[in-house]
Amino acid sequence: MKIDIIDYESCSAAGLNLKALRNSLKQYNSGLIKNNLPGSDLDTWIGLVEQVDEVNDLGRWQSRNNALAALGYEQGSLRETVTGLIKKYGAARVGLVMGSSTSSIDRTETAYTKLDQAAQLTEEFKQPLVHNPHAPSLFVAHLTGITGPSLTINTACSSSAKVFASGARWLEAGIVDAVLVGGVDTLCLSVLHGFNSLQLLSPNPCKPFDQHRDGINLGEASGFSILQRAGENINSSGICLTGYGESSDAYHMSHPHPDGLGARLSMTQALERANRHAAEIDYINLHGTSSRANDLIEGKLISELFPSSTQCSSTKAWMGHTLGAAGITEAIIAMDTLNTNIIPGSKNLDTLDEALSLSIKASDEHKVCQHVMTNSFGFGGNNCTLLFSRSE
Amino acid sequence: MQAKELKCKIAGIGAWGSYFDSWEALQQLLGGEPLPETSNKGPKPTIIPANERRRAPLPVRLAVESSWQATQSAGIEPSALTCVFVSGLGDTDLTDYMCKTLASEHKELSPTKFHNSVHNAPAGYWTISTGTMSAANSVAGYEESVSLTLLEAMIQCSTEHKPMLITFYDSPVAEVLRPILNNQETFAFSLVILPYNSETDGTTVEAQVAENDHASWPMLQSQSEYIGRLYSDNPSAKVLCLAELIAKSSGEQSVVMPLSKGSTMTITCT
Repeated sequence: MKIDIIDYESCSAAGLNLKALRNSLKQYNSGLIKNNLPGSDLDTWIGLVEQVDEVNDLGRWQSRNNALAALGYEQGSLRETVTGLIKKYGAARVGLVMGSSTSSIDRTETAYTKLDQAAQLTEEFKQPLVHNPHAPSLFVAHLTGITGPSLTINTACSSSAKVFASGARWLEAGIVDAVLVGGVDTLCLSVLHGFNSLQLLSPNPCKPFDQHRDGINLGEASGFSILQRAGENINSSGICLTGYGESSDAYHMSHPHPDGLGARLSMTQALERANRHAAEIDYINLHGTSSRANDLIEGKLISELFPSSTQCSSTKAWMGHTLGAAGITEAIIAMDTLNTNIIPGSKNLDTLDEALSLSIKASDEHKVCQHVMTNSFGFGGNNCTLLFSRSE
Repeated sequence: MQAKELKCKIAGIGAWGSYFDSWEALQQLLGGEPLPETSNKGPKPTIIPANERRRAPLPVRLAVESSWQATQSAGIEPSALTCVFVSGLGDTDLTDYMCKTLASEHKELSPTKFHNSVHNAPAGYWTISTGTMSAANSVAGYEESVSLTLLEAMIQCSTEHKPMLITFYDSPVAEVLRPILNNQETFAFSLVILPYNSETDGTTVEAQVAENDHASWPMLQSQSEYIGRLYSDNPSAKVLCLAELIAKSSGEQSVVMPLSKGSTMTITCT
């Protein structure tokens, strides 16, 4: 399998675009701040994208989630690249796969705070195309002019990793000539108070894989990547998607499998699909949420499957756990190491969990990588691993 | 590049709604039989362990019941199947619960209701109940949920040569959201599909995507008011246009479904 990555961009608290993200990673500037989300007094830290508030002209499409998607799409050369592909192949030959966990529930939350006296939705919030789980793709299709198949994947925190797998399959099947894949999730009360109910939020900046980690920080992000069959576009980024793995834990709705069996499957599938050995993987961007359970299970699994030459890090201390957008945010961080030759460190790691032994450190490292991976695990025991390689 | 042939075989079917509790019962309604006098209360799939089943929301029970029927009729171990679950509207009862709670002074959410609120809860319960460790996708496509999901699953079945379970489900919409998402009907439908070269007798389905910007869902042959309401209001019940073809199974027949703003998908059954 070989799919070319033509273009990619990321928008999060760690940077409005890829350029700003690279800078934040280099300077060790985290985007996390004390929770100040209106209506929420929870003692935790969040990765808020302040510029989202300025996107308020979406009319019947207005929601925080759509605003973040629109803001993300304006970054870098995305619009130019997509417009060029539509011109070349026709709008119906370009596909769209978006991943999200909240879709636009932020808007539904707001609508419920403004119901009329008869407890009915007020006119401003009668937005059928926004209050449904497919909202991210409906909106991005509208925004981009893409008229080919447009699907939304909602598998919680693996959503926007799985978009790469579906996009790759669509290209291999030949139903489209290019696919815009993306992910978007926004901070809202549902996720903050939901994760709080599961006692997973940390009152401190998160410390993935640290002995003293005490929970996760939530964030918001959008990210996009453009995929084509290998060799069909000379303006490729020089990076290929060479493997993916998708699996289920079959264990519990909100706890990972204690032995990481599902995660093991998704990683080994990705290696097999790419025809690579574990020792060939230079870097893994871990799911690394900073929860006690995830990091212990994922960390143990990594040291079982990979040699110490495989460098690892979790980058969640830069922008928080961006849920349905985490897959693509971290896929972009992983693939971008093939361009920057810098492996980001695992920010806020002071003392590695005593039960773990893996190649992970707080500082970044200069290394010319050939093959990199990223893990994303979601509620419902939904796992996805992606493998990216330098074009030969 | 020309699209590859997307051809699969249907090995099993499951169905559940307020007036049918199996594919056989749905076929009778499609064939013109009158509605039963009483409606079903809600499925209680025994495959979900009893303590979990009590707390499982309706969309979960619908999807699991229908999926179980399809795997039983296919005679295939559920864990051997890769899954795609779809709902056009999601669990609006839980959306309603969360938004009402969060709009109130005390914003404490039930942890169980929160983790059940993810769109992939039915896929999660299914994989947990059946010990399925293969991929379980959970997607949404609003009015095009059925065509997009058939395409996604048929591509996966053809390109990765995997036997697949496809489950479509949508339940009645919570009151506050009814003015904009007008579905009052309960519906679930499942297909087990196998790669075309599998040794099985089932109906062959072939999908072809074409550019077309003026498509709407085709008329059903059924004259039933109930079936008509399901088809128009419940996004997952759009699969009834395919169900009618499968039920007739006489020679080669096609149905054209809207897929996106600029494309359609023709499904041909033989």
